[in-house]
Amino acid sequence: MSTLNLLIAVCIAYVSFLFFVAFAADRLALQGKKAWLRSPLIYTLSLSIYCTAWTFYGAVGSAARNGFEYLTIYLGPTLVMVSWWWLLRRLLRIGRTQKITSIADLISSRYGKSSLLAAGVTTLAVIGTTPYIALQLQSVTLSFSVFAAQSDGSDPEVYRDLGLWLSLGLAVFTVLFGTRNLDAKERHDGVVMAIAVEAVVKLVALLSVGIFVVWGVSGGLSEALYQIDASEFGQWHTDRSRWAGLIFLSAAAFLCLPRTFQVLVVENDDESHLRTASWAFPLYLCLISLFVVPIAVVGLSIMPEGSNPDLFVLTVPLALGENGLAMLSFLGGFSSATSMVIVAAIALSTMVSNHIVMPIWLRLRPSGASVSGDVRAAVLMARRLSIVGVVMLGYLYYRFSGGGAALASIGLVAFCGLAQVLPAMLGGMFWRGATRLGAFAGLTAGFATWLYTLYLPSFGVGTILPATIIDNGLLGWAWLKPDALFGISGMDQLMHALLWSMLFNVAAFVTVSLLSFPSPLERLQAAQFVNIFEHSANTRTWSRGGAQTEDLMVMAQRILGAREAQALFAGHARKQGARGDLPEPTPDFLEVLERELGSSVGAATAHAMVGQITGGMAVSVEDLMAVADETAQMLEYSARLKEQSEELSRTALELRNANQKLTRLSIQKDAFLSQISHELRTPMTSIRAFSEILRDTDQIQPDDQSRYASIIHDEAQRLTRLLDDLLDLSVVENGQVNLNLRDGTLRDALDRAVSSAAVGEDGAQLEIKRDPAREDIALHTDLDRLSQVFINLIANARKYCDAPNPCLTIRVMQDADRIVVDFQDNGSGISPEAADLIFEKFARVSDQKAGGAGLGLAICRQVMTRLGGSVEYVPALRGANFRVVLPYRTALAAQ
Amino acid sequence: MTSGADRPGSPANFHEKRTYRRRRLTDAARLAPILALVLWFIPLIWPQSGAGTVSSATALIYIFLVWAGVIVMTWGLSRLLADDPTNRAADEGSEE
Repeated sequence: MSTLNLLIAVCIAYVSFLFFVAFAADRLALQGKKAWLRSPLIYTLSLSIYCTAWTFYGAVGSAARNGFEYLTIYLGPTLVMVSWWWLLRRLLRIGRTQKITSIADLISSRYGKSSLLAAGVTTLAVIGTTPYIALQLQSVTLSFSVFAAQSDGSDPEVYRDLGLWLSLGLAVFTVLFGTRNLDAKERHDGVVMAIAVEAVVKLVALLSVGIFVVWGVSGGLSEALYQIDASEFGQWHTDRSRWAGLIFLSAAAFLCLPRTFQVLVVENDDESHLRTASWAFPLYLCLISLFVVPIAVVGLSIMPEGSNPDLFVLTVPLALGENGLAMLSFLGGFSSATSMVIVAAIALSTMVSNHIVMPIWLRLRPSGASVSGDVRAAVLMARRLSIVGVVMLGYLYYRFSGGGAALASIGLVAFCGLAQVLPAMLGGMFWRGATRLGAFAGLTAGFATWLYTLYLPSFGVGTILPATIIDNGLLGWAWLKPDALFGISGMDQLMHALLWSMLFNVAAFVTVSLLSFPSPLERLQAAQFVNIFEHSANTRTWSRGGAQTEDLMVMAQRILGAREAQALFAGHARKQGARGDLPEPTPDFLEVLERELGSSVGAATAHAMVGQITGGMAVSVEDLMAVADETAQMLEYSARLKEQSEELSRTALELRNANQKLTRLSIQKDAFLSQISHELRTPMTSIRAFSEILRDTDQIQPDDQSRYASIIHDEAQRLTRLLDDLLDLSVVENGQVNLNLRDGTLRDALDRAVSSAAVGEDGAQLEIKRDPAREDIALHTDLDRLSQVFINLIANARKYCDAPNPCLTIRVMQDADRIVVDFQDNGSGISPEAADLIFEKFARVSDQKAGGAGLGLAICRQVMTRLGGSVEYVPALRGANFRVVLPYRTALAAQ
Repeated sequence: MTSGADRPGSPANFHEKRTYRRRRLTDAARLAPILALVLWFIPLIWPQSGAGTVSSATALIYIFLVWAGVIVMTWGLSRLLADDPTNRAADEGSEE
């Protein structure tokens, strides 16, 4: 059996083993045996996803070419892990409480669930990761071909199709184990387990080669060190800017790469695992980089001139005839490549499907996401298609870039691109003032700079950027040359791009954040992220005052209404003696608040809501806001209903009163009709009787005759008066009356009224008291009508005043805008219920004194309304008191 | 956080001291990455050429010794900062 066939057999066996491990892990997880699957050791090993084939093979190559620079790639992540207490713990807590599913989700969630930002970060991640996947495919096919070529001497080009089969296999594996569930936190036990196994394989492979080289070839540690000193990089020599810059870059990449974020944050199950990983992962990195230099030195000394140092890990054991070791080394590289592709595909597919495919799909669907099972299937399908898409994109990139040196440098280029997310990420975690617009500006500025100064030139001069731009700058401006912005030349290209892109990024981020104003959701999220340890206490009761009062306030306002919430909070602040309007979130206060909220939304919901802000439950803030909005709407609706029903009962009461009044009026009217027929009939009877006497009696005395005739005349006049009154009322009521406006004084009108009322006076004398000096007020009005009103009032007093010595006092008062004339007699007045009716037609205070038709006051009221004033009954201490009010303009117009 | 001080008796003193220790430990955990960074930046001031250049083997040993030191330091800190329910509130509270 040839070496090639053996190689293929080993590969297939290894892949089958991985399938089995992933499958078994998923089964165990399903059975609930997660203790071992979710141990700190597995977590630490899964972090090794950071070390790809690029580091497995490339570290030795880099050491052979650039000396110690390769170490920076491991020092950066070590520093990040050592910063676990203030950085990673916070990041993990945010990831857990906010149910973060990817780095794009983190950024989007922090900046008010901005879908634009999420799509932007996703695009950046896809652009940065695709070449990286291509790099993995390249390294596998390269190692395959070199391995086989050295064994069989056949043409390495034969294995080109290998890349396709490899990517297909990886896509299948990822689809199988990466989209098994739609768990909210996107955990993949099988995949993580497989990654952990691969981490062990690559560490063991590299350590084996290293131990073989140091003790098997060099002959011991001291000899190996001597060899290093004697080799061509025997003296410490390193580009200082690259040393510092690459440490920063690798640290940033460790935080921002989609695949490391996936295992570090998303797949994390228990924060305490971080404590172990904080020292165990640096140990892993230390071990994996320990033998890189000895391998490079030995490779340089024993391999022929011009051989590729990137493959020393593989070629050195092969050259020394250690086929078994070479096979192990090959598997190490294979592991590094496959694990990277799998996790990157999962991470990217989550981002692509959640932030690009699903929003578009939901928008295109006419009915929206109404059926949940429907969406679930769609999400899974989107994710599967995304996985295949991402892997195939990597493969196509590999095919069309043609491999080679352009790919080898892409690792750091990709690091630099993804590091652009760092300012928005750290700013979002530590600075409440960071805004969505700021993050967007920073990302855009950094991304554009990176694209122009590093990514596009990395394809080679003349490929995408024409040579004229590279030589002369954009639009011929020399200060825009991609490798020497602002004319600062002579820098390493990567460092140049890193410096300017980060500078522009941070500057834009900070400036725009300072100038813009965040939305309420953004501010709430900012508070949640920055004060994550106060929001996400593990305690269930309110024993710790960790809640953020401001956030409670925001929520309470939505539910209780702004004024009530403010009053509640301010009241408690006063009670606690706190400064300002916000009280300390003491357990007492939280309980009161919860009760208040509970009265609106129910106790369980209220507890969950307060818990969300104080204790970090599994409800997202957005859900909460939706609930709050809904509740507010319901409260508003019910308040409106209550208002309407109150209005209805008010109307019903008014109707009932009106009905009573109508009934009373109807009775009055019946009484009046019988009265008026009586009134009409009495004079008619006299007229008829006396006219019959005049007609039928022959010998009638002349004085009798004239007496009878005058009786007939008087009675006819009485009838005419009655009919005149009725006619007058209907005219005034219909508004057909023509006002005859004249100048005069109030005294004239009163004089006329008093003298007219005195006509026909008989029996009891009515004494009238006046104050003529005060009555001297000029008027411009219909004096006749006004007098008519006065006559009526005086006549009423004469008719109805039941005092032994009836007396009417007429008082005139004048204030700023009106003239008031009171007519007060000394009788017994009018009872309150009668006062209600006297101004109605046909109303009469008593049936006993059948003086008139009951139309006088009704006419008075109509007349006064026409004159712009009013007449009303004013209850007085004694006697009846009618008040006539004239508008002052009536008086003014006369002056 | 200062519940110990509110209570009379000896346990209060003991509790106070432990809280104080733990706060200093968290300070150390925050400073650890700075220390590591400074140590790894030392090679930046090594002469690049001429007399006094550092040999590769020495450089390698220095960097890996620092690495080992950092790992041991982080291990120690993570052990000391391990979950201690009585002190949990104190460390959470001191975060901000």
